[in-house]
Amino acid sequence: MAFTLYALLQAALLFVNAIAVLHEERFLRNVGWGTEQGIGGFGEEPGIKAQLMNLIRSVRTVMRGKMKSTV
Amino acid sequence: MAYHQGYGGQGSKHRGRGPLVPPAPDPHQLFDDTSAGFPHAQGTPGSGIDMGFNTLLADPMANVAVAYGSSIASQGKDIVHKEIHRFMSVNRLKYFFAVDTAYVTKKLALLLFPYAHQNWEVRYSRDTPLTPRQDINAPDLYIPSMAFITYILLAGIALGLQQRFSPEVLGMCASTAFVWVVIEVLALLLSLYLVTVQSDLTAFDLLAYSGYKYVGMILAVLGGLLFGSDGYYVALAWTSCALMYFLARSLRMKLHPSLVPDGMGHPRGAGRGQTYVTLGAAACQPLIVYWLTFHLVR
Repeated sequence: MAFTLYALLQAALLFVNAIAVLHEERFLRNVGWGTEQGIGGFGEEPGIKAQLMNLIRSVRTVMRGKMKSTV
Repeated sequence: MAYHQGYGGQGSKHRGRGPLVPPAPDPHQLFDDTSAGFPHAQGTPGSGIDMGFNTLLADPMANVAVAYGSSIASQGKDIVHKEIHRFMSVNRLKYFFAVDTAYVTKKLALLLFPYAHQNWEVRYSRDTPLTPRQDINAPDLYIPSMAFITYILLAGIALGLQQRFSPEVLGMCASTAFVWVVIEVLALLLSLYLVTVQSDLTAFDLLAYSGYKYVGMILAVLGGLLFGSDGYYVALAWTSCALMYFLARSLRMKLHPSLVPDGMGHPRGAGRGQTYVTLGAAACQPLIVYWLTFHLVR
């Protein structure tokens, strides 16, 4: 598989976009990955699932940009 | 002063020049000398130095321009440094290139035969890791970058021997190898974030550890060129095992929580996750090495 740097940039952009379009209310809550009920206490061990949910939420927050609605 | 007056207007340089030295026919003179009463053409050899001094002072605009230009240049340099410092710390990068010949030879030997090495700890001195010159276990970026360039040249030779060479292929080979290492570094960063490990592994450290596979790739391609397909597989197997062992020991030493002098008991789950990350990273190495080299040795 021959990669160019531009292909890497494209892949990264599409990947981040895929994370950004996961809607909080419509989809993640149904799967059980909503972040309101995920982070229980302040234990030292968040676990992989909580970290992933945090990551998704932070990616969506960063990508939100100018639109203030919860996209 | 002469040039402060000269900053103002056209004929002012004549006014400034007047009281100091007698005027001489200045080739750089832009305007006619309209100051009355001064004799011209005093071109005696004795006043040669005066003439030189005259030309410097005679063009105070140039003086001001030179001073202004140099201040602008230093400002530009500061801006460039600040912008670069926003993306990466140059001091941190310099740490990785502080190598010497003894370190390089010992590290290359270690990469190819890591089984005899006992002490894998990276030594610190007052909270900063020692430079590669003083500590054999410290990661560096010199070997990976040199190995990367050597790998590109070797790929060109291998393709040329098979009559498959063209300059575009070289560029494609270089960018492919680089992109795979970048992907691996990103995957490592992501997995380290997910298992919440507290370590001081920066992105440059991971880049260094991932870049060590170029040495294995070079040896595999050399083995394939010199001894044919059998030599390629033998070299690939040897370097893969050595690289896996090297990476597993190095990462385990850097990630293991029992070495962090925190005092709180390390969480069991995170320790297990770290082991998985280490083993996964080590296991990916031979795959990438094979993927990047098998098309060169047919």
